[in-house]
Amino acid sequence: MKKPSGAAPVLAVLSFLGLFLPSPARPQDRPDIDELKKTALKVFLDCDYCDLEYIKTEITFVNYVRDRLEAQVHVLISTQATGGGGTEYTLTLIGQNDCRDIQDVQTYYSVKTDTRDDVRRGLVKALKLGLMSFVARTPIACRIAVDYAPPERPIEVRDRWRSWVFSLSGDGWFSGEKSYSRRMLNGSFSANRVTPGSKLRLGLFADRKKERYEFENGAGGTDTFTGVSSSWDASGTWVKSLGDHWSAGVFLEAESSFYRNIDLSLRIAPAVEYDFFPYSQSTRRQLRALYTLSLNPISYREETAFGKLRETLLKEELSLTLELREKFGTISLNAEGSNYLHDLGRYRIDTFGSLSLRLYKGLSVSFFGGYTWYHDSQLSLRLRQPTYEELLLRLVELPMNSNYFVSVGFEFQFGSIFTNVINPRFGSPRRGGMSFRFF
Amino acid sequence: MSTQRRRPAALLPVVLLLAAAAAAQAPPPGPAGPPPPKPRVFVDWPGGDLAALQAEAPFVEFVADLASANVLLAVAPAGPAASGAFTLAFTGKGPFQGDDNVLPFAPDPGATPGEAARGLAGAVKLGLLRYAAKTPVAADLAVTFLDQAKPTSVNDKWDFWVFSLSANTFLNGETQYRSGSYYASVSADRVTPALKIQTRAYGNWNDNWFDLGGGAVYESATHGYGGSALVVKSLSDHWSAGGFLEAESSTFSNLRLSLTAAPALEYDLFPYSESTRRQLRLLYRVGLTRARYYEETVYLRTAQTLLQESLDIAYKVVRPWGKAEARVKGSHFFHDFSKNRLEIEADLEFRIWRGLSFQIEGGYSRIRDLLSLSAEGATLEEILLRQRQLATGHSYSFSVGFNFSFGSTRSNVVNPRFGNGGRSFHMGM
Repeated sequence: MKKPSGAAPVLAVLSFLGLFLPSPARPQDRPDIDELKKTALKVFLDCDYCDLEYIKTEITFVNYVRDRLEAQVHVLISTQATGGGGTEYTLTLIGQNDCRDIQDVQTYYSVKTDTRDDVRRGLVKALKLGLMSFVARTPIACRIAVDYAPPERPIEVRDRWRSWVFSLSGDGWFSGEKSYSRRMLNGSFSANRVTPGSKLRLGLFADRKKERYEFENGAGGTDTFTGVSSSWDASGTWVKSLGDHWSAGVFLEAESSFYRNIDLSLRIAPAVEYDFFPYSQSTRRQLRALYTLSLNPISYREETAFGKLRETLLKEELSLTLELREKFGTISLNAEGSNYLHDLGRYRIDTFGSLSLRLYKGLSVSFFGGYTWYHDSQLSLRLRQPTYEELLLRLVELPMNSNYFVSVGFEFQFGSIFTNVINPRFGSPRRGGMSFRFF
Repeated sequence: MSTQRRRPAALLPVVLLLAAAAAAQAPPPGPAGPPPPKPRVFVDWPGGDLAALQAEAPFVEFVADLASANVLLAVAPAGPAASGAFTLAFTGKGPFQGDDNVLPFAPDPGATPGEAARGLAGAVKLGLLRYAAKTPVAADLAVTFLDQAKPTSVNDKWDFWVFSLSANTFLNGETQYRSGSYYASVSADRVTPALKIQTRAYGNWNDNWFDLGGGAVYESATHGYGGSALVVKSLSDHWSAGGFLEAESSTFSNLRLSLTAAPALEYDLFPYSESTRRQLRLLYRVGLTRARYYEETVYLRTAQTLLQESLDIAYKVVRPWGKAEARVKGSHFFHDFSKNRLEIEADLEFRIWRGLSFQIEGGYSRIRDLLSLSAEGATLEEILLRQRQLATGHSYSFSVGFNFSFGSTRSNVVNPRFGNGGRSFHMGM
């Protein structure tokens, strides 16, 4: 029932085209547009970062559906950072049902200085052009106009910065009420040079957080507790491309962290990476294995549980990362193992995974979680016991054997498959949600 | 211990299996070399009117020689010769390798030869756009839809009703700390331009566990339930009328159960059809609430009936320079006008000059209406873990940020080696 034979719909389209295509010449014969809209292309937009309401109000010659299997074209939009600090949007248009013989890939680049209006307009334009191959098969095609306005003279592109991009940022957050206040400040500077042959990233980052709580003590007065933590980090990465699958480079880092009891840590770490897929497919799939060997002199803020104030550590680390962006969803898995060379018994294994899958019509599940086994690898732990407040506010690192977080969610939707309508009246109710960012 | 060690190793085959599955359905081969300035099209149409095609699609270059072309267009008659029907077969070469398509074309039965030729040229033009989109010509193309079609012009057996069930959990722990959050909701919505119906019910539960050392443990749990229904009727391009029904129960707010019914009226200074670009909505609402509390409140109540009115003004504009949003909301209770609240929120993203942009976001609330505040107060742990509404006359949050970028900011190079640093994702609930 859901699988049309293939030839029949094409014939139906053919007869429609025959009826309506040359209509502009005779406006009195113009077909009823609302009838044409009923046979318009069914599109499933698969994009996490797009302004979907805007797209739906700008592109009205297609019908948007909620479920990917209903669509004639699945538009899978994946993103990657560009060397200039912008974003590469890869629009993979996958024909389905009676359009399964068409496939196309369009690309749109936003630049770092674009506002969200610039980005949504650019994306709509790329999407319109990409959809035309499909729309041309539907009767509504007769009502689409294409204008071409060639520029007076070509714009000359010359890069006097030789691919260098610099960026300076600062942020502050302040919040509070009568008996509670919080203040966070951070600043960063980066200088990057990214070319297909090599990648150089230099960065500086510093942050400071202060929380203040007021509570009544037993004696009828008021006590105040103030928690302060801060950290800074300077880092550099240089990577040389060695063919479609191999890369080699070096990490340099200097950092300080209150939470982790680190006064100053320096790290120099040569590394080599192998991608099982060619790097050119990275927007859709990557399986990267990265091996790092680091030399790390550290001085601590307070004496550690091992009685050290400073030491030099040699550590090796292997990390395996899988990233897949497919029609059925997104998969991201990462496993890392590291050990100290002075004592092979001190090692750490870290796993992380996130899956977001559209399993069947209307049914989707999401999962993310991580598990870390420490195996006596927390060498920077403080010797002293944390205070009660440091414990509750989680201001200092605590000894642990393992640490985990896991989240599972599912959603089942049924009913109307169309999502064309935008109705902004009375606003939209706030949907709960959580955003996470991992580095 | 030994089982723990085996677990990460067991991940490896799974990873390799997934990768192999993905590799089995590899994407089409990528383009070879940089894009040409314009697609070069060779038309295979014996006896065809090439001039008409050239006039219709000036954004491509028609070439006479097959070897220099990167798009092949074969126009072949389809069906009986007199029908004027054609099959247009597009084949990409070189940078357009793999970009193939077949479009059927048949003229209107009563069409004059001129109309039929224009129709055919129009179909060719649409078919060529995908190639032009991959060349610098794309910047000078504009695609427009000549009509306005209603978004509801679809054949929908569900009559626009969408139902959804969802559940989420988040668990987090280490040796001395554990926490869990659970969330579930059901919703039924029907949104059309004339009428908007949104209903939902939800519940959330949270628990925390701390090992304080020396055998002492601190444990706590909080929860909330609720439901809401919103019905809005469109009266005109600027006016809407509707109502809210709400139920809520929350340990944080000391509410055992509150039920609210609130009719409301809204006016948008701009037409609603411009909502993705700008809106200035004024929403007036009168609500009748029956509330019961877990603990006696600071006003010595365990239950009460309240009448409240509120005015909510929301402004939003998205323009090439950035985005601005502002909101002012005022409300008061009728039994005592001094029990009131004023909330102000603003969010501005502004590109001042090329690479320099600012972002400011903030809110301030003047709070005089915490009627549900428990008389018992909160423990030290409840304060630090923010599990209780505390007495306050105000609350604020404010953030400011700037970014200045310069250099080759228009560079489109993607280099994924050693990772691109930072990945984020959103989990909706």
